[in-house]
Amino acid sequence: MISVKDLTFVYEGARKAALSGVSMEIRQGGFVGVIGPSGAGKTTLLSCMNGIIPHHFKGDYYGSVKICGKDTFDCSLTELSLVAGTVFQDVDGMLINATVEDEVLYGLENFGLPKAEIAARLEEVLEEVGIAGLRRRSISTLSGGQKQKVAIAAVLALRPQILLLDEPTGELDPASSRLVFSLLKRLNRERGITVVAVEQKIMLLSEFASELAVMSEGRLEFFGPVREVLRHSEELEKIGVNCPRVVALSRELEKRGLTAGTLCVSVDEAEAEVRRVLEG
Amino acid sequence: MKGLLEYTEGNTFIHRMNPLVKLLLALCVCAAAFASDSLAFLAALLAIDLALGAAGGVFGKALRLLAGLLKAGLLLFVLQLLFFREGRPLFLFVTDEGALTAAKLALRFIAACMPLALMLGLTRTGDLTNALVKTAHVPYKYAFTLSAAIRFIPLFMSEMEGVMEAQASRGVDFDGGPLKKIRLALPLCVPLLMISVRKIDGSAVAAEARGFNLRGRASGYKDYPLGTADLPAAALCAALVALGIIT
Repeated sequence: MISVKDLTFVYEGARKAALSGVSMEIRQGGFVGVIGPSGAGKTTLLSCMNGIIPHHFKGDYYGSVKICGKDTFDCSLTELSLVAGTVFQDVDGMLINATVEDEVLYGLENFGLPKAEIAARLEEVLEEVGIAGLRRRSISTLSGGQKQKVAIAAVLALRPQILLLDEPTGELDPASSRLVFSLLKRLNRERGITVVAVEQKIMLLSEFASELAVMSEGRLEFFGPVREVLRHSEELEKIGVNCPRVVALSRELEKRGLTAGTLCVSVDEAEAEVRRVLEG
Repeated sequence: MKGLLEYTEGNTFIHRMNPLVKLLLALCVCAAAFASDSLAFLAALLAIDLALGAAGGVFGKALRLLAGLLKAGLLLFVLQLLFFREGRPLFLFVTDEGALTAAKLALRFIAACMPLALMLGLTRTGDLTNALVKTAHVPYKYAFTLSAAIRFIPLFMSEMEGVMEAQASRGVDFDGGPLKKIRLALPLCVPLLMISVRKIDGSAVAAEARGFNLRGRASGYKDYPLGTADLPAAALCAALVALGIIT
């Protein structure tokens, strides 16, 4: 679905490469969480996937990114927008209409969908994201978290095959963050949408993503199933990525010989494991 | 002036009017103000502006708008008094013709600005854009530019406030007269411009990533048929312009 090969990118005027030699294959229906410290190249990687690089930001570009078999270098941003939807980090810049309803309608109208289809999708997505009550509100009166939900709804309404999200829960409280990731997981499972989410909250990624990509200084340090990547907890901490506490707990249980190397990535799993140990 | 140009939700007959008729009405009041040379007619236009605001359920907002415009109008009035030298001297440098012309200029300025601002407060920008594209056949790119410019006004104002608050938190004292405020705000123009350009750039990319270039004339979701209030409003437009030219 998304194929990145030997990707290196240096922003115009920059001395250091923002991405160096990144290669990854994301299968259809995958749910990839991208994590890493600030300046690791996460947003740049996402920008290469949605075509903003090289179409908007210029620089030295080596390697290739293919979306559904098409090289992003040869497709326009418009062509890519038909396949991949992006939720940007700067939601204020992304929301270009005056009201919530207009914002969700914007992409649907651009895509020229029939009116009945637009109405159905509008209702559905507002309910799904939990912002039906904000429908007629002016965007300038919304809180940061509400704006973020509107941005997600506006992209989800387009039903893209690939969803690219840059810190979609950056301004959300823990409950809303979980709600957004639960929704992404459901869309991923039920509709087979491929999700790539840049996120700083490792616990959310461990619980909802199926694969984890860890970036540091423009390089892809680890990429694989969540459990496999989290096994490298010591290396991850050196990079600046803290592992979830449940991972530390299961590593400790393993070190003390109480478990046989089962890595827990969610609180529920950890609870079950601790119960098993206590029950002997 | 904060929030004065933003859309106010409502269900009055003005809210329900066709966006293009509202735009036409605003432009006609504006044109009538420029065409007229009568102080009484200009004052009547101002009353019409306030009446339209009241009919749209935004009388308070219209009054605040008027108060804001009065300040600018007063500046125009004083400048005109200073430089208009024809007519009979009344006192100091003020002449009778100068006072009359200055009053007309200030009133004309207020009467012409108010309807446009009120129209923006009573029309969703999305509706205005779509109606311009669908009915008036304005190319989408131009209509979008207009709506984006309107949308960005409150955003820039809040950015300006943000920059000023950041400066105030580091000891800059913004309290004081308008001259002091202007002197302190001038150095903020560059960071504000930088932020604005970056935001506009981000918005352009976001628009393109949601199919901006696919938009056609028939793409709009809503239709904008003429309603019962639209024909009388169109007649009012014609009458105002005619009266403006006569007076």
